[in-house]
Amino acid sequence: MEIPVEIGVVYEGERIRKGEMHVELGGPKVKAKGELVRARKMDEIKDGKIEVKGPDLSEMEEGSRHSFGIFVEVAGKQVEEDLEAVIERRIHDYCNYVEGFMHLNQRYDIWCRLSKKSYGKGFNTLRYLGDALITLFKAELPIIEKIQVTFITDEKRVEDFVRNARKIYEARDARARALSEEDVKEFYGCVLCQSFAPTHVCVITPDRISLCGSINWFDGRAAARVDPKGPNFAIPKGELIDETNGEYSGVNEVVRERSLGENERFYLHSMFSSPHTSCGCFESIAFYIPEVAGIGIVHRDYSGDTVMGVPFSTLATQTGGGKQIEGFLGMAIEYMRSPKFLQADGGWNRIVWLPKSVKERVKDAVPGELYDKIATEDDATDIVALKEFLREKGHPVVERWVEAPPEAIEAPELEVMPAGAAGGIKIILKNAKIHAEKVIIKRVK
Amino acid sequence: MKGAGFKIDELESDLIKIKGLEVTVGKFYEEWEEVMGPTPMPSVTDLRGWDFTLLNRYKPMYAPFCDLCCLCTYGKCDLSGGKKGACGIDIGAQQGRIVLLACCIGAAAHGGHARHMVDHLIKKYGADTPIDMGKNVEVEAPLIRLIAGIKPKRLGDLLEPLEYAEKELMHSLSATHTGQEGYYTDFESKALHVSMVDQLLMEIADVAQISALGFSKGDPDSPLVDIGFGSIDTKKPIILCIGHNVVPGAAVIDYLQDHDMYDDVEVAGICCTAHDLTRYDKGAKIVGPLSKQLKFVRTGIADVIIVDEQCVRTDILSEARKNDTAVIATNDKICLGLPDRTEDSPEDVIDDLVKGAPGALILDAEKVGEVAVRIAIKLSGKRKRRALDVVKEAKKCTQCGLCVRECHNNLDIPKGMEKAAKGDLSLLSEIYALCMGCGRCENVCSKEIPIVSLLGEAAKERIRKERYKVRSGRGPIQDTEIRSVGSPIVMGEIPGVVAFVGCPNYPSSSKELVEMAEIFLQRRYIVTASGCAAMDLAMYKDEEGKTLYEKYPGNFDAGCLSNVGSCVSNAHIAGAAIKIASIFAHRNLRGNYEEIADYILNRVGAVGVAWGAMSQKAASIATGFNRLGIPVIIGPRGAKYRRTYLGRADKSEDWMVYNARDGSRTQVSPSPGYLLYVAESKEEAIVSIAKNCIRPNDTTKGRQIKLAHYIDLHKRYFGAVPEDLAIYIRTEADIPITLKAEIMDILKAKKWKPKTIPDPTLLERLCRKKGDRA
Repeated sequence: MEIPVEIGVVYEGERIRKGEMHVELGGPKVKAKGELVRARKMDEIKDGKIEVKGPDLSEMEEGSRHSFGIFVEVAGKQVEEDLEAVIERRIHDYCNYVEGFMHLNQRYDIWCRLSKKSYGKGFNTLRYLGDALITLFKAELPIIEKIQVTFITDEKRVEDFVRNARKIYEARDARARALSEEDVKEFYGCVLCQSFAPTHVCVITPDRISLCGSINWFDGRAAARVDPKGPNFAIPKGELIDETNGEYSGVNEVVRERSLGENERFYLHSMFSSPHTSCGCFESIAFYIPEVAGIGIVHRDYSGDTVMGVPFSTLATQTGGGKQIEGFLGMAIEYMRSPKFLQADGGWNRIVWLPKSVKERVKDAVPGELYDKIATEDDATDIVALKEFLREKGHPVVERWVEAPPEAIEAPELEVMPAGAAGGIKIILKNAKIHAEKVIIKRVK
Repeated sequence: MKGAGFKIDELESDLIKIKGLEVTVGKFYEEWEEVMGPTPMPSVTDLRGWDFTLLNRYKPMYAPFCDLCCLCTYGKCDLSGGKKGACGIDIGAQQGRIVLLACCIGAAAHGGHARHMVDHLIKKYGADTPIDMGKNVEVEAPLIRLIAGIKPKRLGDLLEPLEYAEKELMHSLSATHTGQEGYYTDFESKALHVSMVDQLLMEIADVAQISALGFSKGDPDSPLVDIGFGSIDTKKPIILCIGHNVVPGAAVIDYLQDHDMYDDVEVAGICCTAHDLTRYDKGAKIVGPLSKQLKFVRTGIADVIIVDEQCVRTDILSEARKNDTAVIATNDKICLGLPDRTEDSPEDVIDDLVKGAPGALILDAEKVGEVAVRIAIKLSGKRKRRALDVVKEAKKCTQCGLCVRECHNNLDIPKGMEKAAKGDLSLLSEIYALCMGCGRCENVCSKEIPIVSLLGEAAKERIRKERYKVRSGRGPIQDTEIRSVGSPIVMGEIPGVVAFVGCPNYPSSSKELVEMAEIFLQRRYIVTASGCAAMDLAMYKDEEGKTLYEKYPGNFDAGCLSNVGSCVSNAHIAGAAIKIASIFAHRNLRGNYEEIADYILNRVGAVGVAWGAMSQKAASIATGFNRLGIPVIIGPRGAKYRRTYLGRADKSEDWMVYNARDGSRTQVSPSPGYLLYVAESKEEAIVSIAKNCIRPNDTTKGRQIKLAHYIDLHKRYFGAVPEDLAIYIRTEADIPITLKAEIMDILKAKKWKPKTIPDPTLLERLCRKKGDRA
């Protein structure tokens, strides 16, 4: 069937305002809406089948709103349940590629609009949308061998559909949360950033999302299956060399290869010794604060000074560029939710400072007893105040101070000139002219 | 930091005995962790190798505007048909020479501005005034770090790069003397060099004024300010500042604020001074770009005109006289034959000007501030404004057509006169909107009709409605913004960066510029602007009455429109590209020009558009971007610069790069396809912008989105899939998924084969052999 409007990536940013809309599907004003992808067995679905359950576009009044469900079923030798979420997120992109069709949000919160203009061009059935989805899914994800699409606009049926979908989202989330490095054979690498930072490699495991926060283990798995030679590829994890640090023989091998020999070993869960490298687009930075033997975190959107007295941008110059920098680690905010979050360094027990907005955002991941012991910009804006705060609140790092008193900066060694001691030398200068073209003042560390 | 020294006549201790010791130190440097790169403060020839690499791929193409040389007394020498001049120069070298001369003039204009600015600010605020570009700007002066190899901390630190730039400018200009350089590529290399120095000078000027005058320090939400004739409150005394150096205008605002009179007097500007006035104080108003100068002066609305430097009409005095507007010249560049009244008491100067003296030269900003305000108040409402009877004047027109022949844009003035003579002013009003305000039509009019004034009078209603909002110049791009766009650029969500810069010498309506910008804003490119172009982008409203600046946020981000500021703020656009290298790849900037330019050329999908480029400054700005690896498109008038840098997509050997991973040679897609290119139409420019955002390092996702826009725009404007599509597809994953079937057919027909995607560089020294540890 010939779709009467254009399909193209260039329509992605298109917004359809109220006055321009023919109908609204889903959205904040209707109760029932949602979308779901399920992996099926090859014989369970009919390739190319499109169904509309409930009134179709031509039966809807101009300016009206409707309950809306999008149900996509896929099958293929390499299609598995674990990839459902990844495939599901593409619905958003693909719908937006359709000229005059807008799709916002995901899961049980979708909000779509069809423009008057596109309706006027003859886009009068959801079958066109189904056709576009099927074509695009098959073009981009050749692992999908069979696909069928069902649109539901009948309110009652959408309600049933969403009720069922919510159970599946929950099960899926539970699986994602429970999945850990021990449960899988492969991790995934990402070298997308090498186009700008040629020696950086991101290692993505179920316990460690990419630094930019955009690619989790499932995304990596899907991308690697679709295009094994592409920028996302499988890393056989090999042997576990060091459990606490998160060092794997397979990871080291790939890092050596892909960083062009620049780096040889990665600790996945430590910011010391052999930390993961950072590209340029990490969401946040973990930085070591030697004065309190603790770790601070700052994210990109925090524009104030950190407790170190410098803002994100200054710390960021220490981090990144595909180099291993001890004590500085670029990371995704989501990594703070990982059960292995900096486990070699003490995990949350070592975190002493982070901006309020991030603290709020990851509240569910912070161990309850620690939440009030971690300072924000409201509690401390310099090291002295931070030390005081931590001592007062009894933060676990304080115990480290007893083991090794946190000496801020060692006093620099001073070279003492021999002053007139016996056996010394005597310098006599007469009419000397000394000109130094440059004097370089070095800061003594 | 400056040097120091001490003398000891006589000293004796146990350890030492000194007689007549003198110790002097030339300079103190604070050590900076970053390693010094190979070319700090490069000489004219230090980067010649890089220039030749560029020129080898992007060959200069000359379109001689004039094939004579008349620079020495042997001339005029006819250089056409392979003939050589008396000095031996051929036409190629002569064209390169003229290009170099233009770039030297451009750089000198920014340099003079920078020198005045730095000296003035040091005198006023002290050499120790800290350089402060704001909280999220760690790399405070990317060009100074890159070219001069220093990290300026105080205003005084700007003197050293300034002196360096002045020296390079002298050497470059000297090469244009008779009997010096003789080969075109070497002239071009020097043009590239002095234009790089021009970028340095622009940064020095803007960093100084941002630090000392409290301009926005990279704020994406810098205020929306008024622009347009209609926004000027004609009931108040009006002071108009024209030019590029904000110092005297700022002194006017200071005087008004100090005397609690700021609400009673309008301070408005034309050209970049106007941008910088609003950066100094958001209450100042912008009349508009350069093209509005003659039109506005002719209205006689201004009571006082202050001129500083660059792009000021040289007949400003006689034009101002027509309405008894007083002129104050404030800069050694523009003295206009006026008496120097710097040392005279303000009372005397005011008295003379009120009595009808045409103007005064006052080389003291504070005094200008006081004099301008006091005269404006005295003259306001008291000047004779000559009434103009449009119908009567139009009846004089004999329809000889000389004016159309003189007009750049072939505006049909006779037709407008014919209608006006019958009382219908509508066509003249329309012509007003398209007129670039050069005034050459009046020179040739056999009946001496004041055409420009007539246009203004006919367009009175239109002028009253010229009231828009522009976002005040924000200055630098924040490091954190660069970081935020990194991921979407890598993931292929942002297809490129487009910068609209330069003068308003457009081939037709300035609305074309707005249309171009909006196409890329809607497509979620990063759009940025500066100078007169940034003003023209504000001067159209959509059906809801909003300008682009009201519709799109001021961030450096996808689908956002950032105005960096005046001409000298162009440095921040170059700076943003440089920061990508520093932030993503941790490439050292310090004295490391060649490596960074190579990085930008191969990786940063940015295109500059100077649609109405007019001046020599525009020539040096474009050429400076070119040396840094950023292609520039100029409008049809730009052909008069007589030189382009064009690549040949059909010559595969021109597009070989090193794969930095293993040192092998690989052919890449021919993009950017040129460094300097003249587009003949808006449509051609739009398609070309999209195509030339492609870079050899694109991820497949990035290439997909770039190609999707290129194909879509090509189809839209030229009605077909581009012929050259196949050369931009490296692997199947590059093909926009919505077009896969269609394009695969094309590729099959062209016997396309997949290519490798290298880590591209033109510099062999940057290749790392596998396993070869640093």
